[in-house]
Amino acid sequence: MDAHGTRPAGASPGLPEGRGQDLDGLLATVARGDETAFAKVYDRLAGPVYGLIRRVVRDPAQSEEVAQEVLLEVWRTATRFDPAKGSAATWVLTIAHRRAVDRVRSVTAAAEREKRTSVLLIAGDDVAEAVEASLERERVRRCLEGLTELQRESITLAYYGGYSYREVAGLLGITLGTIKTRIRDGLIRLRDCMGVT
Amino acid sequence: MRFVRPDLHVLAGVYSIDAIADDAERARFEQHLRHCQQCADEVRGMAATATRLGFAASASPPARMRDHVLAAVARTRQLPPATDHGHVPAEQRLRMPRLAWVAVAASLAVIVVLATVLLRTHSELDKVRARAAAIAAVLAAPDARVITHATSAGGTTTAVYSLARHELVVASAKLPPPPRGKVYELWLLGPPRVRPAGLLSAATHGHTALVLVAGVLRGDQLGMTVEPAGGTSRPTTTPIVVLPLRA
Repeated sequence: MDAHGTRPAGASPGLPEGRGQDLDGLLATVARGDETAFAKVYDRLAGPVYGLIRRVVRDPAQSEEVAQEVLLEVWRTATRFDPAKGSAATWVLTIAHRRAVDRVRSVTAAAEREKRTSVLLIAGDDVAEAVEASLERERVRRCLEGLTELQRESITLAYYGGYSYREVAGLLGITLGTIKTRIRDGLIRLRDCMGVT
Repeated sequence: MRFVRPDLHVLAGVYSIDAIADDAERARFEQHLRHCQQCADEVRGMAATATRLGFAASASPPARMRDHVLAAVARTRQLPPATDHGHVPAEQRLRMPRLAWVAVAASLAVIVVLATVLLRTHSELDKVRARAAAIAAVLAAPDARVITHATSAGGTTTAVYSLARHELVVASAKLPPPPRGKVYELWLLGPPRVRPAGLLSAATHGHTALVLVAGVLRGDQLGMTVEPAGGTSRPTTTPIVVLPLRA
């Protein structure tokens, strides 16, 4: 299996701390039922998990609830983590993002949508405020600035806003075909800028 | 190796960041992914890229969260490891959930396996497997909850539901056969409106086949009424049971 560049060695394209490999190893230990190892995983990933969910869901109480569900799911399903498919950090953050999106993408949440949109538009520097590793934050910010405005807005609305691409197309007043292309092009450019291989 | 269909391939970006809201569209792309190594590689790189965006949003969680999560971990059993690298067969997935309601889940699993055994053709089997996998996913959801209630017609109805997945699974035991020309119909009784949620099949050995209901919303209740054969679009009788789906 190609472990790909998502498992960083040394300079760590995949993880800010440059310790992605440790995390993969820790998760393998967690899979054997080691609660101490899980506590270490928690200490490394609870911040990104909670921060990302909070960014999408917005409501602190709901975010905490979703983050707890996600971290418990990491424990429960650690036995199914396959390092050949990507790094541990990506596995965990993918679960977190999906859960956050599930939470906001229900009809009952529709009423919250407008509120979230207005918050979202003024929350542009949340990213800057919340990040723990300032180097990583700077790099992500720089890479985001390297995108076209449309690419950046589309990716930000979809990823941090939790919107579907149809919703993003509606918000930005562009066609579905355009939005799909812009998001893909933008992610490719981000990937190359961040050195993810 | 198949041709890369450009219309599908372009979905790699929106797929990687969970921006496909339509289940059927997402399923089509996932099907495509299984045959397109290039797309799978691209999705992997984009997911790793999204991870970096995720890290950039890091924030300190409330301090109490650590204790809560570690306490929950201490009382939660882990899933057994998958025994192959591909798809876990439906029958195996049915043995996955081990929560407080393990007994209920197990008995539901038995019913599905039994139904599998009773079916003859491959296409029937495939359909049952797909349905069993969908049902297992609800049973295995970390937020799955179970509620059982006696019905006013006799017997009991049980629902296992996951509000995160917006799905539930309905089983019944010892429900008397409906009057001639009638059927038991399920409803989602929501604050927005009442939605039909499927019909119960005739019971075998006192159990009706499991019904998988999608589109469950927070605040919904599950109701069951007796309706003319074929079902109706709105309930015409008083529910014989109503199950609140509390979060």
